[in-house]
Amino acid sequence: MILDTDGMKPIYIQIAEWLESEILHGNFQADDKVYSQYQLADLYNINPATAAKGLTKLAEEGILYDKRGLGKFVSTHAKQIIIDKRKNQTLKNLVNDLVTEAGRLELSEEDTIKLIRNAWKGEQG
Amino acid sequence: MKAIKCKDLNKRFYRKNALNDLSFSIEENKIVGVIGRNGAGKTTLLKIIAGLLKEKSGVIEVYGRRPFNNLFVSANTIYIDDAMNFPTALTLKEILEEGKRFYHHWDHDLALRLFDYFGFNPSQHHNELSKGKESTFNMIVGLASRSPLTIFDEPTTGMDAAVRKDFYRALLKDYLAHPRTILLSTHHLEEMEDLLEEVLVIHEGSLKLQMSMDDLKEYGVGLTGKKDVVEPFLKEKEILWKKEQALDTCYAVIKNDLTDHEYQRMKEAGVQVSPVKANDLCIYLTESRNEKGSVDDVFDRSADV
Repeated sequence: MILDTDGMKPIYIQIAEWLESEILHGNFQADDKVYSQYQLADLYNINPATAAKGLTKLAEEGILYDKRGLGKFVSTHAKQIIIDKRKNQTLKNLVNDLVTEAGRLELSEEDTIKLIRNAWKGEQG
Repeated sequence: MKAIKCKDLNKRFYRKNALNDLSFSIEENKIVGVIGRNGAGKTTLLKIIAGLLKEKSGVIEVYGRRPFNNLFVSANTIYIDDAMNFPTALTLKEILEEGKRFYHHWDHDLALRLFDYFGFNPSQHHNELSKGKESTFNMIVGLASRSPLTIFDEPTTGMDAAVRKDFYRALLKDYLAHPRTILLSTHHLEEMEDLLEEVLVIHEGSLKLQMSMDDLKEYGVGLTGKKDVVEPFLKEKEILWKKEQALDTCYAVIKNDLTDHEYQRMKEAGVQVSPVKANDLCIYLTESRNEKGSVDDVFDRSADV
Protein backbone atom coordinates (compact mmCIF):
# COMPACT_ATOMS: atom_id res chain seq x y z
CA MET A 1 0.00 0.00 0.00
CA ILE A 2 1.13 3.53 -0.69
CA LEU A 3 -0.13 6.18 1.70
CA ASP A 4 -2.29 8.90 0.20
CA THR A 5 -0.95 11.95 1.96
CA ASP A 6 -3.08 14.48 0.07
CA GLY A 7 -6.47 12.88 0.61
CA MET A 8 -9.18 13.55 3.12
CA LYS A 9 -8.45 10.26 4.88
CA PRO A 10 -6.12 10.58 7.88
CA ILE A 11 -2.96 8.49 7.83
CA TYR A 12 -3.89 6.48 10.93
CA ILE A 13 -7.17 5.42 9.31
CA GLN A 14 -5.30 4.33 6.19
CA ILE A 15 -2.99 2.26 8.40
CA ALA A 16 -5.98 0.70 10.19
CA GLU A 17 -7.71 -0.11 6.90
CA TRP A 18 -4.56 -1.65 5.50
CA LEU A 19 -4.27 -3.93 8.51
CA GLU A 20 -7.96 -4.83 8.11
CA SER A 21 -7.34 -5.83 4.50
CA GLU A 22 -4.34 -7.93 5.54
CA ILE A 23 -6.60 -9.73 8.02
CA LEU A 24 -9.34 -10.20 5.40
CA HIS A 25 -6.83 -11.65 2.95
CA GLY A 26 -5.72 -14.08 5.60
CA ASN A 27 -2.20 -12.70 5.94
CA PHE A 28 -2.90 -12.40 9.64
CA GLN A 29 -4.91 -15.19 11.27
CA ALA A 30 -6.75 -15.15 14.58
CA ASP A 31 -4.32 -14.88 17.50
CA ASP A 32 -1.46 -13.80 15.22
CA LYS A 33 0.63 -10.89 16.42
CA VAL A 34 0.31 -7.85 14.14
CA TYR A 35 2.95 -5.22 13.45
CA SER A 36 3.99 -3.02 16.34
CA GLN A 37 3.67 0.76 16.13
CA TYR A 38 7.43 0.94 15.54
CA GLN A 39 7.37 -1.59 12.71
CA LEU A 40 4.48 0.29 11.09
CA ALA A 41 6.34 3.60 11.54
CA ASP A 42 9.35 2.13 9.80
CA LEU A 43 7.28 0.51 7.03
CA TYR A 44 5.33 3.64 6.18
CA ASN A 45 7.80 6.32 7.22
CA ILE A 46 5.46 7.89 9.74
CA ASN A 47 5.63 8.90 13.37
CA PRO A 48 5.06 5.93 15.70
CA ALA A 49 2.34 7.91 17.52
CA THR A 50 0.30 8.00 14.30
CA ALA A 51 0.78 4.27 13.82
CA ALA A 52 -0.26 3.66 17.43
CA LYS A 53 -3.46 5.61 16.82
CA GLY A 54 -4.34 3.23 13.98
CA LEU A 55 -3.70 0.19 16.19
CA THR A 56 -5.75 1.68 19.03
CA LYS A 57 -8.67 2.23 16.67
CA LEU A 58 -8.66 -1.45 15.71
CA ALA A 59 -8.39 -2.48 19.35
CA GLU A 60 -11.38 -0.31 20.25
CA GLU A 61 -13.42 -1.97 17.52
CA GLY A 62 -12.53 -5.41 18.89
CA ILE A 63 -10.51 -6.39 15.83
CA LEU A 64 -7.26 -6.54 17.80
CA TYR A 65 -6.66 -7.36 21.42
CA ASP A 66 -3.86 -6.41 23.76
CA LYS A 67 -1.45 -8.72 25.47
CA ARG A 68 0.29 -6.60 28.01
CA GLY A 69 3.91 -6.10 27.11
CA LEU A 70 3.67 -8.39 24.08
CA GLY A 71 1.79 -6.27 21.58
CA LYS A 72 -1.47 -6.49 19.70
CA PHE A 73 -3.03 -9.68 18.36
CA VAL A 74 -5.86 -10.52 15.95
CA SER A 75 -9.04 -11.39 17.82
CA THR A 76 -11.09 -14.49 17.03
CA HIS A 77 -13.97 -12.63 15.38
CA ALA A 78 -11.81 -10.02 13.65
CA LYS A 79 -12.74 -11.08 10.14
CA GLN A 80 -16.48 -10.99 10.83
CA ILE A 81 -16.27 -7.59 12.52
CA ILE A 82 -14.40 -6.14 9.55
CA ILE A 83 -16.82 -7.61 7.01
CA ASP A 84 -19.86 -6.33 8.95
CA LYS A 85 -18.32 -2.89 9.32
CA ARG A 86 -17.42 -2.61 5.67
CA LYS A 87 -20.87 -3.79 4.55
CA ASN A 88 -22.73 -1.43 6.81
CA GLN A 89 -20.55 1.63 6.41
CA THR A 90 -18.09 1.61 3.55
CA LEU A 91 -20.25 -0.15 0.98
CA LYS A 92 -23.34 1.86 1.93
CA ASN A 93 -21.45 5.13 1.48
CA LEU A 94 -20.07 4.02 -1.86
CA VAL A 95 -23.59 3.18 -3.05
CA ASN A 96 -24.86 6.54 -1.82
CA ASP A 97 -22.12 8.31 -3.76
CA LEU A 98 -22.96 6.27 -6.83
CA VAL A 99 -26.63 7.21 -6.62
CA THR A 100 -25.80 10.90 -6.10
CA GLU A 101 -23.51 10.93 -9.12
CA ALA A 102 -26.07 9.04 -11.21
CA GLY A 103 -28.63 11.67 -10.21
CA ARG A 104 -26.32 14.47 -11.31
CA LEU A 105 -25.89 12.76 -14.68
CA GLU A 106 -29.68 12.30 -14.89
CA LEU A 107 -29.37 8.52 -15.11
CA SER A 108 -32.52 6.54 -14.33
CA GLU A 109 -32.67 4.00 -11.53
CA GLU A 110 -32.98 1.23 -14.11
CA ASP A 111 -29.88 2.39 -16.03
CA THR A 112 -27.89 2.67 -12.83
CA ILE A 113 -28.78 -0.84 -11.83
CA LYS A 114 -27.89 -2.00 -15.33
CA LEU A 115 -24.44 -0.49 -14.86
CA ILE A 116 -24.01 -2.37 -11.62
CA ARG A 117 -25.20 -5.57 -13.23
CA ASN A 118 -22.68 -5.22 -16.07
CA ALA A 119 -19.90 -4.47 -13.65
CA TRP A 120 -20.92 -7.49 -11.62
CA LYS A 121 -20.77 -9.72 -14.70
CA GLY A 122 -17.35 -8.37 -15.61
CA GLU A 123 -16.10 -9.05 -12.10
CA GLN A 124 -17.46 -12.62 -11.99
CA GLY A 125 -16.59 -13.60 -15.56
CA MET B 1 8.22 13.64 32.13
CA LYS B 2 8.39 17.11 30.65
CA ALA B 3 11.51 17.83 28.64
CA ILE B 4 10.78 21.53 28.20
CA LYS B 5 8.58 23.84 30.20
CA CYS B 6 8.24 27.54 29.69
CA LYS B 7 5.95 30.12 31.19
CA ASP B 8 5.47 33.76 30.22
CA LEU B 9 8.76 33.70 28.38
CA ASN B 10 9.89 37.08 27.02
CA LYS B 11 12.83 38.20 24.94
CA ARG B 12 13.56 41.59 23.46
CA PHE B 13 16.04 42.65 20.82
CA TYR B 14 16.70 46.36 20.43
CA ARG B 15 13.37 47.35 21.92
CA LYS B 16 11.51 44.94 19.69
CA ASN B 17 9.73 42.01 21.33
CA ALA B 18 10.99 38.77 19.88
CA LEU B 19 9.01 36.56 22.26
CA ASN B 20 5.79 37.60 23.98
CA ASP B 21 4.64 35.75 27.10
CA LEU B 22 5.24 32.38 25.54
CA SER B 23 3.95 29.45 27.61
CA PHE B 24 3.95 25.77 26.68
CA SER B 25 5.50 22.48 27.63
CA ILE B 26 6.81 19.54 25.67
CA GLU B 27 6.77 15.92 26.77
CA GLU B 28 9.91 13.87 26.58
CA ASN B 29 10.70 11.68 23.55
CA LYS B 30 8.51 13.35 20.97
CA ILE B 31 9.40 14.76 17.57
CA VAL B 32 7.99 18.27 17.60
CA GLY B 33 7.85 20.69 14.68
CA VAL B 34 8.26 24.40 15.39
CA ILE B 35 6.43 26.26 12.66
CA GLY B 36 6.21 29.97 11.95
CA ARG B 37 6.91 32.66 9.39
CA ASN B 38 10.29 34.29 8.95
CA GLY B 39 10.97 36.45 12.00
CA ALA B 40 8.25 34.82 14.11
CA GLY B 41 10.72 34.04 16.89
CA LYS B 42 11.49 30.37 16.19
CA THR B 43 15.26 30.69 16.30
CA THR B 44 15.18 32.91 19.40
CA LEU B 45 13.03 30.37 21.19
CA LEU B 46 15.18 27.40 20.17
CA LYS B 47 18.36 29.21 21.20
CA ILE B 48 16.90 30.04 24.60
CA ILE B 49 15.93 26.38 25.05
CA ALA B 50 19.47 25.34 24.11
CA GLY B 51 20.90 27.85 26.57
CA LEU B 52 22.61 29.91 23.89
CA LEU B 53 20.54 33.01 24.63
CA LYS B 54 19.32 34.42 27.90
CA GLU B 55 15.62 35.08 28.37
CA LYS B 56 14.54 38.53 29.49
CA SER B 57 11.80 37.38 31.82
CA GLY B 58 9.62 34.39 32.50
CA VAL B 59 10.50 30.82 33.28
CA ILE B 60 12.26 28.38 30.99
CA GLU B 61 13.15 24.91 32.18
CA VAL B 62 14.87 22.10 30.30
CA TYR B 63 14.85 18.89 32.32
CA GLY B 64 13.84 21.01 35.29
CA ARG B 65 16.80 23.38 35.02
CA ARG B 66 17.29 26.85 33.62
CA PRO B 67 19.30 26.26 30.42
CA PHE B 68 21.42 29.43 30.31
CA ASN B 69 24.95 28.72 31.58
CA ASN B 70 23.89 25.28 32.76
CA LEU B 71 26.31 22.40 32.24
CA PHE B 72 23.69 19.68 32.67
CA VAL B 73 21.52 21.16 29.93
CA SER B 74 24.53 21.73 27.64
CA ALA B 75 25.69 18.16 28.08
CA ASN B 76 22.28 16.80 27.11
CA THR B 77 21.41 19.20 24.31
CA ILE B 78 22.65 19.83 20.81
CA TYR B 79 21.59 22.78 18.68
CA ILE B 80 22.11 22.45 14.95
CA ASP B 81 21.58 25.33 12.53
CA ASP B 82 23.17 26.50 9.29
CA ALA B 83 25.75 28.66 11.04
CA MET B 84 27.64 25.97 12.90
CA ASN B 85 31.06 27.17 13.89
CA PHE B 86 33.48 24.27 13.64
CA PRO B 87 37.22 24.92 13.97
CA THR B 88 38.61 25.51 10.49
CA ALA B 89 41.88 23.82 11.45
CA LEU B 90 40.14 20.45 11.77
CA THR B 91 39.22 18.16 8.90
CA LEU B 92 35.67 16.78 8.74
CA LYS B 93 36.92 13.44 10.04
CA GLU B 94 38.61 15.17 12.97
CA ILE B 95 35.44 17.09 13.81
CA LEU B 96 33.59 13.78 14.11
CA GLU B 97 36.37 12.42 16.33
CA GLU B 98 35.94 15.45 18.57
CA GLY B 99 32.19 14.89 18.62
CA LYS B 100 32.85 11.48 20.13
CA ARG B 101 34.84 13.10 22.96
CA PHE B 102 32.24 15.82 23.46
CA TYR B 103 28.87 14.02 23.57
CA HIS B 104 28.56 11.03 25.85
CA HIS B 105 25.76 9.40 23.83
CA TRP B 106 27.67 9.88 20.54
CA ASP B 107 27.39 6.96 18.10
CA HIS B 108 30.60 7.08 16.11
CA ASP B 109 29.72 4.13 13.95
CA LEU B 110 26.52 5.85 12.81
CA ALA B 111 28.44 9.07 12.15
CA LEU B 112 30.98 7.30 9.95
CA ARG B 113 28.37 5.31 8.05
CA LEU B 114 26.30 8.42 7.28
CA PHE B 115 29.51 10.30 6.42
CA ASP B 116 30.37 7.59 3.94
CA TYR B 117 26.83 7.29 2.55
CA PHE B 118 26.64 11.00 1.73
CA GLY B 119 30.01 10.86 0.01
CA PHE B 120 32.11 13.14 2.18
CA ASN B 121 35.86 13.39 1.84
CA PRO B 122 37.44 12.84 5.28
CA SER B 123 40.27 15.31 4.69
CA GLN B 124 37.97 18.17 3.62
CA HIS B 125 37.34 21.16 5.85
CA HIS B 126 33.95 22.43 6.99
CA ASN B 127 34.37 25.91 5.50
CA GLU B 128 35.08 24.39 2.07
CA LEU B 129 31.70 22.70 1.83
CA SER B 130 28.84 23.84 -0.37
CA LYS B 131 25.71 25.03 1.40
CA GLY B 132 23.84 21.75 0.94
CA LYS B 133 26.85 19.65 1.94
CA GLU B 134 27.39 21.81 5.01
CA SER B 135 23.80 21.22 6.12
CA THR B 136 24.20 17.51 5.46
CA PHE B 137 27.34 17.36 7.59
CA ASN B 138 25.68 19.30 10.42
CA MET B 139 22.75 16.91 10.27
CA ILE B 140 25.13 13.97 10.70
CA VAL B 141 26.61 15.61 13.80
CA GLY B 142 23.11 16.24 15.13
CA LEU B 143 21.96 12.65 14.62
CA ALA B 144 25.18 11.00 15.81
CA SER B 145 25.24 13.04 19.01
CA ARG B 146 22.09 11.17 20.16
CA SER B 147 21.50 14.06 22.56
CA PRO B 148 18.41 13.53 24.72
CA LEU B 149 17.29 16.95 23.45
CA THR B 150 18.21 17.43 19.81
CA ILE B 151 17.32 20.74 18.19
CA PHE B 152 17.43 21.25 14.42
CA ASP B 153 16.87 24.84 13.36
CA GLU B 154 15.98 24.72 9.67
CA PRO B 155 18.26 21.76 9.06
CA THR B 156 17.47 21.32 5.37
CA THR B 157 18.73 24.69 4.09
CA GLY B 158 20.39 24.09 0.74
CA MET B 159 19.84 20.32 0.72
CA ASP B 160 18.48 18.93 -2.53
CA ALA B 161 15.22 16.98 -2.49
CA ALA B 162 16.93 13.57 -2.45
CA VAL B 163 19.12 14.45 0.52
CA ARG B 164 16.14 15.91 2.40
CA LYS B 165 14.28 12.66 1.90
CA ASP B 166 17.26 10.68 3.18
CA PHE B 167 17.53 12.99 6.17
CA TYR B 168 13.87 12.50 7.16
CA ARG B 169 14.27 8.76 6.82
CA ALA B 170 17.51 8.69 8.81
CA LEU B 171 15.96 10.84 11.52
CA LEU B 172 12.94 8.56 11.87
CA LYS B 173 14.99 5.36 11.83
CA ASP B 174 17.35 6.60 14.49
CA TYR B 175 14.47 7.95 16.57
CA LEU B 176 12.68 4.59 16.46
CA ALA B 177 15.80 2.85 17.70
CA HIS B 178 16.73 5.58 20.20
CA PRO B 179 13.71 7.67 21.17
CA ARG B 180 14.60 11.19 22.27
CA THR B 181 13.16 14.67 22.24
CA ILE B 182 13.67 16.26 18.85
CA LEU B 183 12.69 19.83 17.98
CA LEU B 184 12.67 20.78 14.32
CA SER B 185 11.95 24.16 12.87
CA THR B 186 11.13 24.04 9.21
CA HIS B 187 9.60 25.75 6.22
CA HIS B 188 8.98 22.37 4.62
CA LEU B 189 6.14 21.17 6.81
CA GLU B 190 4.49 19.32 3.92
CA GLU B 191 7.62 17.20 3.50
CA MET B 192 8.03 16.15 7.11
CA GLU B 193 4.53 16.27 8.53
CA ASP B 194 4.23 12.48 8.74
CA LEU B 195 7.37 12.43 10.86
CA LEU B 196 6.12 14.82 13.51
CA GLU B 197 4.08 13.89 16.52
CA GLU B 198 3.28 17.42 17.58
CA VAL B 199 3.48 20.95 16.25
CA LEU B 200 4.04 24.30 17.84
CA VAL B 201 2.91 27.23 15.71
CA ILE B 202 4.62 30.50 16.63
CA HIS B 203 3.32 33.80 15.35
CA GLU B 204 4.87 37.17 16.14
CA GLY B 205 6.57 35.83 19.25
CA SER B 206 3.43 34.24 20.67
CA LEU B 207 2.11 30.72 20.71
CA LYS B 208 -0.61 30.39 18.13
CA LEU B 209 -1.30 26.70 18.43
CA GLN B 210 0.04 23.53 19.97
CA MET B 211 -1.50 20.20 19.04
CA SER B 212 -0.76 16.76 17.70
CA MET B 213 0.03 16.54 14.01
CA ASP B 214 -2.90 14.18 13.46
CA ASP B 215 -5.26 16.76 14.93
CA LEU B 216 -3.75 19.63 12.98
CA LYS B 217 -4.37 17.77 9.73
CA GLU B 218 -8.07 17.61 10.58
CA TYR B 219 -8.26 21.04 12.21
CA GLY B 220 -9.57 22.95 9.23
CA VAL B 221 -11.87 22.27 6.33
CA GLY B 222 -12.12 24.26 3.11
CA LEU B 223 -15.40 25.31 1.51
CA THR B 224 -15.55 26.39 -2.11
CA GLY B 225 -18.58 27.58 -3.97
CA LYS B 226 -20.65 30.53 -5.11
CA LYS B 227 -20.36 33.35 -2.60
CA ASP B 228 -24.07 33.58 -1.81
CA VAL B 229 -24.25 29.81 -1.31
CA VAL B 230 -21.19 29.53 0.92
CA GLU B 231 -21.85 32.63 3.07
CA PRO B 232 -24.90 31.27 4.94
CA PHE B 233 -22.90 28.23 6.02
CA LEU B 234 -20.24 30.44 7.55
CA LYS B 235 -22.57 31.91 10.15
CA GLU B 236 -21.70 30.82 13.68
CA LYS B 237 -18.54 29.16 12.37
CA GLU B 238 -15.05 30.16 13.21
CA ILE B 239 -13.58 31.41 9.95
CA LEU B 240 -9.86 30.88 9.81
CA TRP B 241 -9.31 32.29 6.37
CA LYS B 242 -11.32 33.54 3.44
CA LYS B 243 -10.55 34.50 -0.09
CA GLU B 244 -12.77 35.69 -2.87
CA GLN B 245 -12.09 34.19 -6.22
CA ALA B 246 -13.11 34.85 -9.78
CA LEU B 247 -16.71 34.47 -10.94
CA ASP B 248 -18.31 35.22 -7.55
CA THR B 249 -16.90 32.12 -5.94
CA CYS B 250 -15.13 32.13 -2.63
CA TYR B 251 -12.94 29.81 -0.65
CA ALA B 252 -13.30 29.79 3.12
CA VAL B 253 -11.43 27.76 5.69
CA ILE B 254 -13.36 27.03 8.88
CA LYS B 255 -12.75 24.94 11.94
CA ASN B 256 -13.59 21.35 11.24
CA ASP B 257 -16.51 20.82 13.58
CA LEU B 258 -19.06 19.96 10.92
CA THR B 259 -21.72 17.45 11.80
CA ASP B 260 -22.67 14.80 9.25
CA HIS B 261 -25.92 16.67 8.76
CA GLU B 262 -24.18 19.97 7.96
CA TYR B 263 -21.77 18.19 5.69
CA GLN B 264 -24.64 16.58 3.81
CA ARG B 265 -26.47 19.90 3.49
CA MET B 266 -23.36 21.59 2.11
CA LYS B 267 -22.84 18.82 -0.40
CA GLU B 268 -26.44 19.10 -1.54
CA ALA B 269 -26.14 22.87 -1.90
CA GLY B 270 -23.18 22.36 -4.20
CA VAL B 271 -20.49 23.52 -1.80
CA GLN B 272 -17.24 21.71 -2.34
CA VAL B 273 -15.80 20.52 0.96
CA SER B 274 -12.09 19.80 0.89
CA PRO B 275 -9.35 18.97 3.39
CA VAL B 276 -6.90 21.71 4.30
CA LYS B 277 -3.27 20.68 4.31
CA ALA B 278 -1.39 21.29 7.53
CA ASN B 279 1.13 23.46 5.70
CA ASP B 280 -1.56 25.71 4.19
CA LEU B 281 -3.39 25.90 7.49
CA CYS B 282 -0.25 27.15 9.20
CA ILE B 283 0.12 29.84 6.55
CA TYR B 284 -3.50 30.94 7.10
CA LEU B 285 -3.08 30.96 10.88
CA THR B 286 0.03 33.10 10.70
CA GLU B 287 -1.26 35.65 8.21
CA SER B 288 -0.22 38.99 9.61
CA ARG B 289 -3.16 41.13 10.60
CA ASN B 290 -2.09 44.33 8.93
CA GLU B 291 -3.76 46.38 6.25
CA LYS B 292 -1.37 45.23 3.58
CA GLY B 293 -3.61 42.41 2.34
CA SER B 294 -2.15 39.81 0.04
CA VAL B 295 0.73 40.10 -2.37
CA ASP B 296 -1.85 40.44 -5.14
CA ASP B 297 -2.75 43.87 -3.77
CA VAL B 298 0.80 45.09 -4.38
CA PHE B 299 0.16 44.60 -8.06
CA ASP B 300 -3.51 45.61 -8.16
CA ARG B 301 -2.70 49.05 -6.77
CA SER B 302 -0.97 50.15 -9.98
CA ALA B 303 -3.99 49.05 -11.99
CA ASP B 304 -6.27 51.33 -9.95
CA VAL B 305 -4.54 54.57 -10.89
